[in-house]
Amino acid sequence: MADRYSFSLTTFSPSGKLVQIEHALNAVAQGVTSVGIKATNGIVIATEKKTPSFLVDDETQEKVTLISPNIGMVYSGMGPDARVLVDKARKSAQEYKQVYHEEPPTAILVKEIASVMQEFTQSGGVRPFGVSLLIAGFDETGPTLYQVDPSGAFWAWKASAIGKNMVNAKTFLEKRYNETMEIEDAVHTAILTLKEGFEGQMTESTIEIGVAQIVEVTSQEGVKSKVGRFKKLNAPEIKDYLANIA
Amino acid sequence: MQMYEEQKSSCPVKVPVECRFSPYTDNGGTTLAIAGDDFCVIAGDTRQSEGYSINSRYAPKVYQLSNGSVLATGGMYADGVTLVKMIEQRLEWYRHAHDKQMSSGALAQMLSTILYHKRMFPYYVWNTLGGLDEDGKGAVYSYDPVGSYEKQKWNCSGSAGHLIQPFLDNQIGFTHQKEKAPLTLERVVQVTKDAFTSATERDIYTGDNLEMFLVTQNGIEKTRVELKKD
Amino acid sequence: MAMKGKNCVAIAADRRFGVQLMTLSTDFQKIFEINPRTYIGLPGLATDVQTLSELFRFKTNLYKLREERDISPKTFSHMVSSTLYEKRFGNYFCEPVIAGIEKDGSPYICSMDLLGCINHAKDFVVSGTASSQMYGTAEGLWEPELEPEELFETIAQAMMSAVDRDASSGWGVIVHVITQDGVMTKTLKARMD
Repeated sequence: MADRYSFSLTTFSPSGKLVQIEHALNAVAQGVTSVGIKATNGIVIATEKKTPSFLVDDETQEKVTLISPNIGMVYSGMGPDARVLVDKARKSAQEYKQVYHEEPPTAILVKEIASVMQEFTQSGGVRPFGVSLLIAGFDETGPTLYQVDPSGAFWAWKASAIGKNMVNAKTFLEKRYNETMEIEDAVHTAILTLKEGFEGQMTESTIEIGVAQIVEVTSQEGVKSKVGRFKKLNAPEIKDYLANIA
Repeated sequence: MQMYEEQKSSCPVKVPVECRFSPYTDNGGTTLAIAGDDFCVIAGDTRQSEGYSINSRYAPKVYQLSNGSVLATGGMYADGVTLVKMIEQRLEWYRHAHDKQMSSGALAQMLSTILYHKRMFPYYVWNTLGGLDEDGKGAVYSYDPVGSYEKQKWNCSGSAGHLIQPFLDNQIGFTHQKEKAPLTLERVVQVTKDAFTSATERDIYTGDNLEMFLVTQNGIEKTRVELKKD
Repeated sequence: MAMKGKNCVAIAADRRFGVQLMTLSTDFQKIFEINPRTYIGLPGLATDVQTLSELFRFKTNLYKLREERDISPKTFSHMVSSTLYEKRFGNYFCEPVIAGIEKDGSPYICSMDLLGCINHAKDFVVSGTASSQMYGTAEGLWEPELEPEELFETIAQAMMSAVDRDASSGWGVIVHVITQDGVMTKTLKARMD
């Protein structure tokens, strides 16, 4: 009879904590490490790509994903949960574009995703997402890097790390980060940060990197303009960076 | 004409098919006339169209009459041609009867009468008559298809009449303006050209050529200006 | 009617509100400020004019709170377009005109049909009962790169001459000239009949 009224799994503990959110954060803390760094002219996000067995075809796995042409994200934690959020974020971006004929600003999209995550901490019959996100975007206000947690809380960072090795990684970033860093530098720093506590061999197929930066595009009418774009680095590009580090 | 026609069908039901004949068509086009102190400009485009098709790029609808007046006809081209033929006949009769040219004022009244005589099956034409009166002053008369007419200083009718008329009010009548520039023949010609190039941009029934008749004491000068052909 | 100038735009409307031949009000507002750089003109069915102006006030206030910035004229026109198209079946009877200055200082004008189909123009846009008259006057009077004062004179003359030839328009004209430095508004008296 007592459990008949406990619709929600997220009920406050007497100490004022939501235990389910704590559990969700634990799920994140077990997840693979991801880092994000803000450079003067863009954002870099990167993550490890772990497979349970070398028999898995790692080319089919994608952890750094595109939300809209100028926004991308990476997650640490439960892959299936993240995919649900990617779907919702992409849909939200399309809905914004349908109304305004304009890409959503990073802040708006982050708020949208965060509110979805918050809803899942309060609704009946659901559980919080077992992921933290790093969202990189380049809009008319410039480059921004956001972190969103399972509770729906979000912050803008200059550099951040999430997942298993986040504490060490953040300490490393605090030492290495500086405000005048450009994208090239930031990619190097991101790789070095991931290398701290990397298990196994770091190759172009075991890490993923995404960059939000400004690029020149030509419209159908042939008018050139500079706009923010997010792109994933391909295997040869990552290989070049790795070669420079060693 | 057969009123009912049997439709060929495998179905054994006879379906009546209605046939209609419309005696009128609108061939589009715009006409304009402006009277000055001692001159008169009458103009019209030369496009003749029917719906979305262009029948002719040069089918003038402004006619120089034998008494020294100029008549611009808009609406149905065939009715315009017929009307002009008839007017010319009446002008000739007048010369035989009175041994002089009909004055523009008399012609204006006569045109009204001709049009009203066909009150129940009108000529589908919007006329604008331009010329010099007995004192040598510019005169413009505009008509509806059944002969209602008015003496004016400037007029524009036809498919782009709605567009050009307020423009003329502004540029020839100087509405809402403090300074009124003198109305010279050069200025009137320039305004006429501007009006037609503007109307050609927005009205599909106006274009191809602009034909202008400049009526002065010295006679009538006819000029042609090319308009856009799209 | 809205017109582009050199780093400026102008938007103008008449002030009559009537049902066919009966004039009911002679100081009816058809142009609304969305923000200091964006104005919208809403000619059409009076009830829809007022409903839409309130709806856009609501939507743009919400936009400003959410995005912490003023909506740009271009973005706003797409918002208007999708709002109208939302009512594709059972539409509003209103054909808006939008004028404003973009963030980069470039002038922006557009007009729309009652379902939200946007029409961008490099020179001018018109809408309402006197539209054919306005096409004629504007096509004849407008020229490129007009300064704010010249633009005002052009749109005022085009507007007043046009509404004088339309029985359903008149009772004066209101003109807003929008520049980067601010908005100049003038109410003009014309033929009051």
